[in-house]
Amino acid sequence: MGERKRHRILMVSDFFYPNFGGVENHIYYLSQCLLKLGHKVVVMTHAYQNRSGVRYMTGGLKVYYVPWRPFLMQNTFPTFYGTLPIVRTILLREKISLVHGHQAFSTLCHEALMHARTMGYKVVFTDHSLYGFADAGSIHMNKVLQFTLAEVSQAICVSHTSKENTVLRSGLPPEKVFVIPNAVDTAMFKPAPTRLSRHEIVIVVISRLVYRKGADLLVEVIPEVCRLYPNVRFIVGGDGPKRVRLEEMREKHSLQDRVEMLGAVQHSQVRSVLITGHIFLNSSLTEAFCIAILEAASCGLLTVSTRVGGVPEVLPDDMVVLAKPDPSDMVQAIKKAISILPNIDPEEMHNRMKELYNWHDVAKRTEIVYDRALKCSNQNLIKRLSRYLSCGAWAGKLFCLVMIIDFLFWHLLQRWQPAEDIEEVPDFVLSHDQDAGISPDNKNQSFR
Amino acid sequence: MDTFMSEVITSPTRPRWRKVAYGGMQPGFDDNHTDDSFLEEMVMNANVVKRDILKVMLDTVSISQYLCIVALVGLVWTYTLRSILNENSLLLLDVTLLGLGFLVLLLTKEMLSFNLFLRYLLNISFFISGLYVLAPIYQTLTTSISSNSIWAVTVALLVLHLFLHDYFGSTVRAPGALHNPTLTSCISLNASVVASVFIASCLRSRLLVFAIMLFSLQVFLFAPLVTYCIKKYSFRLHLWFSFGLMIATLAFVYTLHLLLFVMLLGLLIFVTVVCPYWLIRMQVYKFEINGPWDEAKLCFDITD
Repeated sequence: MGERKRHRILMVSDFFYPNFGGVENHIYYLSQCLLKLGHKVVVMTHAYQNRSGVRYMTGGLKVYYVPWRPFLMQNTFPTFYGTLPIVRTILLREKISLVHGHQAFSTLCHEALMHARTMGYKVVFTDHSLYGFADAGSIHMNKVLQFTLAEVSQAICVSHTSKENTVLRSGLPPEKVFVIPNAVDTAMFKPAPTRLSRHEIVIVVISRLVYRKGADLLVEVIPEVCRLYPNVRFIVGGDGPKRVRLEEMREKHSLQDRVEMLGAVQHSQVRSVLITGHIFLNSSLTEAFCIAILEAASCGLLTVSTRVGGVPEVLPDDMVVLAKPDPSDMVQAIKKAISILPNIDPEEMHNRMKELYNWHDVAKRTEIVYDRALKCSNQNLIKRLSRYLSCGAWAGKLFCLVMIIDFLFWHLLQRWQPAEDIEEVPDFVLSHDQDAGISPDNKNQSFR
Repeated sequence: MDTFMSEVITSPTRPRWRKVAYGGMQPGFDDNHTDDSFLEEMVMNANVVKRDILKVMLDTVSISQYLCIVALVGLVWTYTLRSILNENSLLLLDVTLLGLGFLVLLLTKEMLSFNLFLRYLLNISFFISGLYVLAPIYQTLTTSISSNSIWAVTVALLVLHLFLHDYFGSTVRAPGALHNPTLTSCISLNASVVASVFIASCLRSRLLVFAIMLFSLQVFLFAPLVTYCIKKYSFRLHLWFSFGLMIATLAFVYTLHLLLFVMLLGLLIFVTVVCPYWLIRMQVYKFEINGPWDEAKLCFDITD
């Protein structure tokens, strides 16, 4: 492959540690693996409560918690040009070569990508969710996405279904979109040391109890399964607005001893909950890529899931039983899962997962995307504006106006705060401590 | 990490591309490889209904009928304010309308039991007596506001009322109606009631105030219910009734003012002819996309 270039990457998103979730873990693990490959990674996100300023995480991962509070669903208030000074300062201080934004629903990501393009940096965007086309919120979100992706160098999606969805929403040519899935930290999710006895079958559900995650399906499925199989027990972890409905269902069918509600489960405790079960049940109504299923499979559980979004692509057919998002179909799927349970060996499943999913592989594939992105040609302002004009009759002109003002503001900032005045951070390499795990729970070393 | 590229391809043709996310990079294919099966599960315009222009035009008759009703109400207000109609004729009009409305309800509703009828009668009498008692309050409501502002506010409220009105059903629910009133239909009803109060407050005599309030409220609250019952009973009857109403309204407005007549005629033509044609023309642009990325719809109702 020749000599690998060392990239200096800025990851931008509203979603990062100390929150736990799909996007947050993705950014963290990807950054750690890229650091191990020798690149430099800096993360930019908003402040969380009183966690503001610069922090260092495992492996020398530098995180800028920009002092802005989130205002709606973890997103910062969109000010269009308010983030330009801080983004410019970070890009110049850290000598960044490439900006990587995550998640279409993050205002900070869109703004940072816009400023990075104005200043001439190459930009990569990763989309983690599926969106519809019909309701008012989705239509506006798709327009914003079209704006951001009009000029992106390359884009990454986490599954093939997500790629189709992103291409339709944003109008990007499909060759520009790479499919690089998420992965799972198999070292953290190991199966139970001793195999569980099978005279009582335990089905585990861990998810946020909201409408999108199919909590209403659970309310219909659990009593039916408990009725058909007297030796089946449920463990439900997670909290949310639909928890009340599940509690009511429990009372109505007198299932207090057969359905255990754990409440919100800390990310560090997820593995200990998973290894108490034989089957993992996922009832979401939409998923671009379901990491929960990977964690369950890595712990040796057989998965039963709804066939939505990117879920059919995630696991091989012998590790998952898929069903339509319909209660009777799901009960049939659970029946099938219980019947094939004797053939499942958790250790063997865990070893297979180690081969199938690996964060280092994800980092290598992302590196290829970065190499491609840096090869893209630079364009001057006029050519770039013509790409924005094609976004729509009114929207195109509005986007052009926004970009022109950004360009002017950038030049003003260059006069007011010249680049020579911004001190560049010297490179330093932490000696890699191979014994320390890179899981996010034991890693926060903050330099005060 | 070496296990990912460990598949040695012995056959000269590379293995087929599979739509899976596991197993790392598929050998022989880049990550941005776009297979021929890309977007093959996309379905376009699956739920789009083909519209027929005649049916759309017949559906717009409800809208033009209601426009005429509101025009007639405005007409009565103008005549009263100009003292062309006096209290007695107004009261007569009120009683006639009430009687006609009840007659229509009796004839068109399949199950109007005697109990229900008595209950309606009781409610109506409470309503009328309440209005009569409160009439002095309405009279003095806007003494300090100029009549131009009152007319301006009234027209604005009526426009809001027409804009947000529920032309499909009726806000005042008949027992056994399917749909609950929505927020916008409640707002429109309130706007019309406030407009009536404003106009009533311009008048001098207490009895006149009572009569005009009763008339306005009767029409705004119960006319949608009556027309809904007629429509449900027989579409033919609904069409004849609407045409008769439109002709009568146009005749009355013609005698009042020529400009208003032209405006009303123009509005009715716009609603009945131009809008359906425009709607059919726009259907070409409809682009509905469905595919495996859609959020699944629950097939059962969530009962809380």
